[in-house]
Amino acid sequence: MFNLKEVKAHCDVPCGIYDPSAAQIAALSVIRMVDLMEAAQKDDDLAYHNSMARYVAVKETEAIKCKEEIRIIWGDFIKPPHLEGYPEIHTIVHNIMMLGGAVKQHVSREKAMELLAEVNKFAEIFWKIKGVETKVAQSPYAPNEDVVYPVL
Amino acid sequence: MLHFFRISGNSLYPLYKDGQRVVCRKVFQNTKIKVNDTIVFEKENYGIMIKQVISVDQNNYFVEGTDPMSIDSRNFGSLKLDEIKYKVLFKF
Repeated sequence: MFNLKEVKAHCDVPCGIYDPSAAQIAALSVIRMVDLMEAAQKDDDLAYHNSMARYVAVKETEAIKCKEEIRIIWGDFIKPPHLEGYPEIHTIVHNIMMLGGAVKQHVSREKAMELLAEVNKFAEIFWKIKGVETKVAQSPYAPNEDVVYPVL
Repeated sequence: MLHFFRISGNSLYPLYKDGQRVVCRKVFQNTKIKVNDTIVFEKENYGIMIKQVISVDQNNYFVEGTDPMSIDSRNFGSLKLDEIKYKVLFKF
């Protein structure tokens, strides 16, 4: 008589919690900061400089957070068998690392949108690996850009 | 007695892949377990696990996965022979 049971060959903390949504929110935040900077009424008073400094600080922080979140999932969750199915993931992650730097260096909505697009590609692959269907929907808050969401 | 198991996870990749099945033989007190054997055991809080034997020191069996982040003896220490339930014969 044969028994068929599951045997665990797990890595990291069993059932580790990974989710690209933090990176997507960070990428949206970068776009939002660029929008606020471009919309600000240019002035030479302290209030203007204070606001601009805060927008820049948040843009920097969120771009770093975006890179960090992707790096962790890529390094800790993505395994060689996943790469067999999605060989493009290394290029996508590298693009995110470069764009994450570019959005800090520039005040460019175009580059911020490219960052979000690459993070969305990464999220789509991540959820496919997890066997979770995805959908594209506008974020329900500014900057109201398209985001890949899991259908749960 | 033979048992079939289905592997969940990739800590032994490329030796064993997620979803692969293995045929195992029950381990008894007189069963010889040696380095490079793949074994099945049960650990409290972890469940039924499969790992490779890296070293044997008297009755201490140190097991690891091939992935650097594998959960194995580096986390919970060596196993005793009576903790080892099955020895893998082959995969399919």
